[in-house]
Amino acid sequence: MVMACGGSSGGGGTTKTYKIGLVTDVGGLNDKSFNHLAYLGLQKAITDFKVQGDVTESKTGDDYIPNLTNFASKGYDLVIGVGFLMQEAIGTVSGQFPAVHFAIIDGTGTDAQGNDLKHANVESLLFREQDAGAMVGVIAGMLEKQGKAKKNLHVIGAVGGVSIPPVNRYIAGYKWAAAMEDPSIKVLIGYSNDFTDPAKCKGVAQSQINQGADILFQVAGGCGLGVLQAAGQASVYSIGVDADQKDADPSVIASALKKVDVATYTSIKDVVNGQFTSGTLTFSIANDGAGYALDNFTLPADIQAEVNSVQAKIKAGTLTPPADIPA
Amino acid sequence: MAMPVGSVIIAFAAGAVIVAVTGGNPFNAYAGLVCGGFGIACTQGENPALQISNTIVFTIPLIATGVAVALPFRAGLFNIGAEGQLLAGSIACTAIGIKFNTLPTVVLLPMVLLGGMVAGALWAGVAGVLKATVGAHEVVTTIMMNYVAQWLLRYLIIGGPLQLAAGTSKSSPIGPGAELPTILPASNSIIIFGLPSSVFRVHMGLLIALAAAAVFAFLLWRTSLGYEIRAVGQSQRAARYAGVSVRRTIIVTMLIAGAFSGLAGAVQVAGVDHNLTDKFFSDTTGFDAIAVALLGLGSATGIVLAALLFGALHAGGSVMQADAGISGNLVLVLQALILFSIAANFVGAIRQRLPFGRAPAAPGAGPPSAGLMTEAAAPAEPKTT
Repeated sequence: MVMACGGSSGGGGTTKTYKIGLVTDVGGLNDKSFNHLAYLGLQKAITDFKVQGDVTESKTGDDYIPNLTNFASKGYDLVIGVGFLMQEAIGTVSGQFPAVHFAIIDGTGTDAQGNDLKHANVESLLFREQDAGAMVGVIAGMLEKQGKAKKNLHVIGAVGGVSIPPVNRYIAGYKWAAAMEDPSIKVLIGYSNDFTDPAKCKGVAQSQINQGADILFQVAGGCGLGVLQAAGQASVYSIGVDADQKDADPSVIASALKKVDVATYTSIKDVVNGQFTSGTLTFSIANDGAGYALDNFTLPADIQAEVNSVQAKIKAGTLTPPADIPA
Repeated sequence: MAMPVGSVIIAFAAGAVIVAVTGGNPFNAYAGLVCGGFGIACTQGENPALQISNTIVFTIPLIATGVAVALPFRAGLFNIGAEGQLLAGSIACTAIGIKFNTLPTVVLLPMVLLGGMVAGALWAGVAGVLKATVGAHEVVTTIMMNYVAQWLLRYLIIGGPLQLAAGTSKSSPIGPGAELPTILPASNSIIIFGLPSSVFRVHMGLLIALAAAAVFAFLLWRTSLGYEIRAVGQSQRAARYAGVSVRRTIIVTMLIAGAFSGLAGAVQVAGVDHNLTDKFFSDTTGFDAIAVALLGLGSATGIVLAALLFGALHAGGSVMQADAGISGNLVLVLQALILFSIAANFVGAIRQRLPFGRAPAAPGAGPPSAGLMTEAAAPAEPKTT
């Protein structure tokens, strides 16, 4: 026991195999979105740090607590919960296992009232979704302003899953940037109240298309794939979310990226290096934790220049997209 | 007994082939499943008591909803609406538990459980009344009522009166007086079986669910109403000729079935969740209950055992994925194969083809699924209660 205190501090990381447990939300690993990205981050960490990484997919919301508890009770070094929906479960289980580290994507560990419990063993991995939303908002605004979209009525749309903070931050940046580029633009915002059923999002999208929208931004996870399909069927443009959704539908011209893989990898790296910190880590354009991807569309050079300019300004802090949807 | 046990064996054999063909090791997969479901043969440091506890938590709502499907089967009715009735029960429980959150347990707990039963009964009663009066098929109406319940729930917790706060998709928690106590103390500092006792979430709803199964058996086999239900299920004409009011029996059957489902929903909120959340959007308990009722051959003991199996599969799937790397979706495949095997009566077919035996099917051994869905034919009565 005395021996353990000797030696250089932090030197023990080379011999110990760290055990990392990842619990997805009900979206599952094949959501083409943040659960998938978290898995990619874990895979990279397994390669780089030789950690043992195990995954459990939650089939229903009833599974969150048992799945987190299973890893925690087996003495895992870090248990990662993917998604805002797991906040209360992380709050409960982190209180039961104070010696285990927890990380949660998009949330904090809360009680039933939604208050942050601020447990010392919980790390919140949050994103400035408004940064990513602003990048695709610039593209949408410029296309409308220059008349290069399909209908040119200066109307664009956004379809959210549920009106929760991470969804609204995306939409806030999108609307803010689009209005900055094209002051005459009208941004339609609708919610499907669902994250999994594409049919529900498709209905909201079709209604926006009927109101003249010709660029639709989906912020609804698996449900939002219905937005991309609806845009494709109506021959208008769409914008993907979280991951690069280029392959989801030919109508996707760009995707707003939330680099959950970077966040997951970072939190594992911190644990392996003995640098785990409780509290919030924020990922944004400034630290390459958010961004955009260009998809099935060739952006005109002047729009690309504007996109680059806005990105540089956000990175430098001279432009700050809002977290709340502007009026 | 041969039919359900054989069906499960066939399903697991087919599942093993699927795992092997897709590059997994079926032995590791099933070892993980058994460990996660029953806490035995664990190899990777799982806590057996925790696994058993998780299984029981998943089993509790399946028992009460399984009964809610099995009772109408006996009357020749196919209640696909257990899910909607469960949601109605959970909504009522939550609404009452929030509204009167300062009342003490002796008053509030019975109120939320009874409230859940009444809400579930009304939800199913709509289908019963429509069936008895205008002949609307209960399969259609109960499915529709499921959607109504789901959308009502969505509205209530997203923008509706039960929403906790803007930007959330859940309700406020119910009052402490509405909570069903856990069997072990819910404390983070008391250590039982090597873990903080609050991780063992088994709650008093277990006793309520077992009582529901006992009430179901008593009602069906020891009361005149139970006799009428079975009579209507075997032949409506004969029952009517014998003086049984078919309409009344259909309505009463659905009311009672709905009360069982509503109780399951109320117990789930009072015992586990303590609030309504978006997890109920993806809840499938009421649909799993159909398989539970069929696998349990519509008997109380059978339903409890089948619910335990499905609860173990649910809990075990996660451990299997974490340990063996086999997708937890294998559990859904197994559940489907079990149901498929019962419906297709593979066991009966195999038995018929055996050179020896070819014994006439024993009473009660036939597939209940085929007969139960028509009002003319019903399963032979088991001799046991």
